[in-house]
Amino acid sequence: MEFIATWISRIFGWSLLFLSAFVALETVMRKVFNTSLQGADELGGYVLAFGSSLAFVVTLAERAHIRIDVLHRKFPVRAQSLIDWLAALSMAVLGCFLLYVGWFVIKDTLAYGSTAATPWATPLIWPQAAWYGALSVFSIAAIVLSGRASWLFYKGDHRTLAAEFNPKGAADELAEELRELAKRKGTSL
Amino acid sequence: MTIVDISIGFIVMMGLLLIGFPVAIVMVAMGVVGGMLLYGPVLMQSMGPVLWGVQNENVLTAIPLFILLGELLLRSGIADRMYGTLALWLGRLPGGLLHTNIGCCALFAATSGSSVATAATVGTVALPSLNERNYSSSRALGSLAAGGTLGILIPPSVNLLVYGSLANVSVGQLFIAGIIPGILLTVSFMVLIALQHYWKPDDVSQPLQVSRAERIHALRHLIPPAVVFLIIMGSIYMGIATPTESAALAVMAALVFVWREGRLTFAFLDMCFRQTAKTTGMILLIIAAAFTLNVTLALGGITNAMSSWVEGLGLTATSLLFALMLFYLILGMFMDVLSMQVLTIPIAVPIIVAAGIDPIWFGIFVVLMSELGMITPPVGMNLYVVQGVRSDKGPFMDVIVGALPYAAIMLLFATMLIFWPSIVMWLPSSLAG
Repeated sequence: MEFIATWISRIFGWSLLFLSAFVALETVMRKVFNTSLQGADELGGYVLAFGSSLAFVVTLAERAHIRIDVLHRKFPVRAQSLIDWLAALSMAVLGCFLLYVGWFVIKDTLAYGSTAATPWATPLIWPQAAWYGALSVFSIAAIVLSGRASWLFYKGDHRTLAAEFNPKGAADELAEELRELAKRKGTSL
Repeated sequence: MTIVDISIGFIVMMGLLLIGFPVAIVMVAMGVVGGMLLYGPVLMQSMGPVLWGVQNENVLTAIPLFILLGELLLRSGIADRMYGTLALWLGRLPGGLLHTNIGCCALFAATSGSSVATAATVGTVALPSLNERNYSSSRALGSLAAGGTLGILIPPSVNLLVYGSLANVSVGQLFIAGIIPGILLTVSFMVLIALQHYWKPDDVSQPLQVSRAERIHALRHLIPPAVVFLIIMGSIYMGIATPTESAALAVMAALVFVWREGRLTFAFLDMCFRQTAKTTGMILLIIAAAFTLNVTLALGGITNAMSSWVEGLGLTATSLLFALMLFYLILGMFMDVLSMQVLTIPIAVPIIVAAGIDPIWFGIFVVLMSELGMITPPVGMNLYVVQGVRSDKGPFMDVIVGALPYAAIMLLFATMLIFWPSIVMWLPSSLAG
């Protein structure tokens, strides 16, 4: 999971940098030379559709999809583990739901051979296939994790389940920030 | 759909949220279940295009770009060094280094997206020198917690972007509308510090005297954040660029600064990418969920039912806003900012528009109330972060007590915005005219 999250972040980050360069170039050329490369808006949309779907996976791996833990963390371990298990299952269901409703989009695009109403006239199936592929990665990751949670729940290992699937609180996030900060200070002084 | 059905739905939803189900999932589930009850499976077919529409929306592309920008500046250490410079300049005001906390947070706010990272960085840099000079713990901690909230009001703000997309108003206008309230709130915080100082001065040791030349030389550390802020707000204000384009320009500028710092390595970029992906995934999933829920809310006439129910109460615009202020105050005590926004904005905006209130103004109001939510116990994100950063391990009560005066100022400030909406609207309307 860690390996996948690292590579996905990399793909995501580099596509953002590439997009920034393209959009910045387009904006400057439009203002200074009065010519347009065109398509920066369109590209931005595609990068977001593909990138954000990939990012869902990273957020999942980091346990950072928002959950309200004000009551949750006060529950006994068994209750916590039950909710965490159900939450992991619901994430897998959400993944399947996204693929299910997303399929209507793909189906229509294939049926009509739709192209974007832009100067590029991109055949929409290209960006949509990338988007759907990224959503599939998210679904698979969510299903795998829910399998792991179910196995732990079945074994009755509530402690491990709660430890691995608890929502990450402000305290964990802060600890990470502080470690990172200490590293930064160490090299900058 | 009666108001009773809606209330039952709302209570079930709050229950699921409070026991700890992921917010995005609860929203999608409510949307799907509600939609199936009202229309049957055909509704599912309309959710696909909605999902693609949200994720393919170029305006929202600004969200990952602004997050990446904040990560680049923060993790390269450019932002850390601002504190030293500001300490030289602001440390001489009555109230001393506490002003530096507010000023540094405000500047950070102008570049960074994460409030945890902001409060952690400023807190870690600031607290040792504050302790060394005997500042009262609660005042020091309060100023850090409150200063950290400025990030979501002062543009560029991811929360204003989220509001803009949910309320369907111009993000550029929202950013411009945020400038004056952001500055005024920062100044109000500093006035509070000065007043506290005159009322009961902290017995602190004087900072070392530094020559004017040294102070001027230190200003160079403020160049990167200033340039980035000017690129973003300048290009939006002059109408050269959309928020997404301004973010792209700023990312390019930030890369140059990072390179000049000698930090531009693959390992560095990997770290920034990872954080950006994590935060983007979190925000985008919850926005996508909000839009799927909106399909049901809008088609099911729920938004209309709520609007006419509120209209039937016969409230004036002012009393409606005070009611909303109370509502957000209470909600903010238990919910994080983003969840609060996606859950309330789709319903609240049609209501206030029907009451004749400008949605741009309301965006600033909502974000201000969200800031308040970050420092009100029991669930005030910034209170915990600041408590976590302190090294003396004193009682949590210190932070709460220290933050209270700032919470009071925010409530007063919100009231001021209600009576003088031009504080918000002057700059964006001068632009339009």
